[in-house]
Amino acid sequence: MVGATASRNGWMVWLTFAIGLLLSVSPLPQFMEILRPLWLALLLAFWALAMPQKVGMVTAWCLGLAEDVLYGTLLGQNALILTLITYLVLALQQRLRMFPMWQQSLVILVIFGLAQLVQLWLSALTGNRQPTLALVLPALVSALLWPWISYGLRGLRRRYKIN
Amino acid sequence: MRLLVLVVLSVALMVVDARFTLFKPVRSQMSLVLMQSYWITDLPQRLWQGVASQFGSRTELVAENEKLKTENLLLQGRMQKLAALTEQNVRLRELLNSSALVNEKVEVAELIGMDPNPFTHRIIINKGERDGVVLGQPVLDARGLMGQVVELMPYTSRVLLLTDTTHSIPVQVNRNGLRAIASGTGNPERLELRHVADTADIKEGDLLVSSGLGQRFPAGYPVATVKEVIHDSGQPFAIVRAVPTAALNRSRYLLLVFTDGRTAEERANDAAQAQEALDQHGGGPIIPATVPKPAIVPAAVAAPVTPVAPATAPAATTPPKPAATHPAAAKPVASKPPATQPAAAKPPATPPAAVKPAAKPPVSAPAITGGRE
Repeated sequence: MVGATASRNGWMVWLTFAIGLLLSVSPLPQFMEILRPLWLALLLAFWALAMPQKVGMVTAWCLGLAEDVLYGTLLGQNALILTLITYLVLALQQRLRMFPMWQQSLVILVIFGLAQLVQLWLSALTGNRQPTLALVLPALVSALLWPWISYGLRGLRRRYKIN
Repeated sequence: MRLLVLVVLSVALMVVDARFTLFKPVRSQMSLVLMQSYWITDLPQRLWQGVASQFGSRTELVAENEKLKTENLLLQGRMQKLAALTEQNVRLRELLNSSALVNEKVEVAELIGMDPNPFTHRIIINKGERDGVVLGQPVLDARGLMGQVVELMPYTSRVLLLTDTTHSIPVQVNRNGLRAIASGTGNPERLELRHVADTADIKEGDLLVSSGLGQRFPAGYPVATVKEVIHDSGQPFAIVRAVPTAALNRSRYLLLVFTDGRTAEERANDAAQAQEALDQHGGGPIIPATVPKPAIVPAAVAAPVTPVAPATAPAATTPPKPAATHPAAAKPVASKPPATQPAAAKPPATPPAAVKPAAKPPVSAPAITGGRE
């Protein structure tokens, strides 16, 4: 029975990732570009918490490569960032699951903020130095979105019994 | 453990991707699938436009039609003048033995996406390697230069806009030919001229056109208009701010420019050498060597005095071009002392049909200050 459900609706996870990729390149008004949440990172964080046996660092790395191609950054840059995020989430997994939602958001904020700083560092290395620390804003927006993403995806997971 | 492997792998990938072109095919294959997402995210807007044009009211359409007709009339009126002027220009240049202006062919491309990174100014267009786009190709809109192609994918390409902080373009003031370098500021409505002397003759409202000196952009396209010139006695240089003439963040249809394979500098060199040769031989007739050129030179441009080809093909100076050698107007190849070589008459131009120019972009790009990404 477990074996039967193991592969059940696994495609839903990938569907959410595909939507995440679309969202991460969807056109936004100029002033909101700077606030674009890290959709892929949010999705990865959720699925890594929900089913760590399926979604892990390798998944994150592959998605990161896809994002690199989309963004035209060096191959491996976003892959590295997403891998780091997934690693941190997995490392804090036991605690994160016990936390209330607001506390989870805080942890997400810290993790994503760190990741964005690494991103800043990598961009500086490749000659594209972003002028400000406004770069940390997406982490903030993502943290604010986390409860909604989390509840929404949890509902989806229950409904389709994604396992 | 797995983290370590993946991190090392990522770093290795980044280094290899930055230094070599090893992963270009991989990237291009991945982009075939992934770039569809730009197209998909653009779909709602496209649909909306479709619907809007379906349900546009008749009066609106009539009004727009009227407007376009008037505009068309005006433009055609100007075109009549332009033909005569072009003709005249060619004749005058012949008299001066300077290189002819080459008309560039343009092709329309459509914007399909903006770069999601708010700190870079890059756009995605729907023409790619398979459409003959080359790296470094200039991109225009109806009003002026927009930028250049920086990444090629099979059916799409990425264009770096003029206003990106890593972009600079050599310009000159249209009024008096003063040269300067316009650098992007990261603000889509502003370029800055670097290192302009305080006493330089530049003032508000001046039109800046591309000078072609960076070997990347064709000369003579409008780039920006000067918005303000600030003379601050505390600063070593004047602060000159300009507004790009192209609608960098509004244009949806762009023009890709296919230019002559030779760079502007090479062209200038050729002209200079021709002049030198002319002087050496006491004003004797120069024999221009033909340069294999992309097949898109319009017939109006070329009308050389004595179109003769050198016996050996000028292989070293220009990248090889398929087909279509053209009786070029007074353009000797730099490596040959032209006046000494009697040579066979050159074959007439092969029909300049659908041959895309295989123009290579210049390898060095002084116009770009930053790194690749």
